[in-house]
Amino acid sequence: MADYREAPLATRPKTLDPAEYFNLSLNQRRAEEERAGLRAQLKRQYQMQLNNPHRKELIEDPALTRWVYARTNPYNHFRATKKTSLLGGLFGVVPLFVLYYVLKTDRDKKEEQIKAGTYDRKFKLAY
Amino acid sequence: MSPQQLNMAAVGFRNWARALSKGKQPGFSALFSQVRAASGPSKGMLPGPYPQTPEERAAAAKKYNMRVEDYEPIPDNGEGYGDYPQLPDRSQHERDPWYSWDHPDLRRNWGEPIHWDFDMFIRNRVDTSPSPVAWHTMCKHLFGFVGFMLLMFYLGEKFPSYQPVAPKQYPYSNLHLERGEDPEKQPEEVKHFNI
Repeated sequence: MADYREAPLATRPKTLDPAEYFNLSLNQRRAEEERAGLRAQLKRQYQMQLNNPHRKELIEDPALTRWVYARTNPYNHFRATKKTSLLGGLFGVVPLFVLYYVLKTDRDKKEEQIKAGTYDRKFKLAY
Repeated sequence: MSPQQLNMAAVGFRNWARALSKGKQPGFSALFSQVRAASGPSKGMLPGPYPQTPEERAAAAKKYNMRVEDYEPIPDNGEGYGDYPQLPDRSQHERDPWYSWDHPDLRRNWGEPIHWDFDMFIRNRVDTSPSPVAWHTMCKHLFGFVGFMLLMFYLGEKFPSYQPVAPKQYPYSNLHLERGEDPEKQPEEVKHFNI
């Protein structure tokens, strides 16, 4: 598997990742320990709430609240830059005009054909 | 909803109505006043603007339950992310299926920071896990097979080959009577073969 190339947008399997074998410095280990500490704290908080016999309500997840808030309120931090203006124009303004033009010309052509009697209804069901 | 939550919701509604009726700003802008119910998380616990100073970064990392070194906000290009952290674009397919997650179907623990595109990375949707065979091999196999079949079908259309056929031969003098010809008249002899 020396020439394994991962698919675009996919990741490498853990067993083929060189960092797993080479990153065993003390700093890395300390970082992993700190992360494990944070995880353990959160686990403890959750378990305390979960197994509390006097609890009657749902356990609220603040990370979820933050995620929902962040996803639903992007305009608080929105700025009109070149990129955002371009995207806004491309997705919001251009389709209006393009669609109008395309549909109008297509239907006008059909109308002319019908008026001239040359319109060919390919899949007509009724006579 | 528990009575406690209903009560808090009522308090929030009452505050909103009060702000609307006697707020200092007239009309619609009163809806955006600083009066907010205390039923949800405090302002400090919600996502905020992009952190400018190291202290703000540290505070944001603490808010999102991440290490200060791990916390990296999404680059600020005006698209409205604020201080939300940039987490690795890994699907939930890749997480350990045998670890005891708090939410096993989402493979996530309580309180863990959620990726911005989390709803895309759930196990029913986008999968970024490594493919068992390399991409170029898969491409070659698929397009090779499809291309070969297309080529062969095209050649089969161009150069058809089937068993030799001849016009159908009917008995009884080419069905003389069945075709309604005169029974007295002698039918013409048609020779279909040579021995």
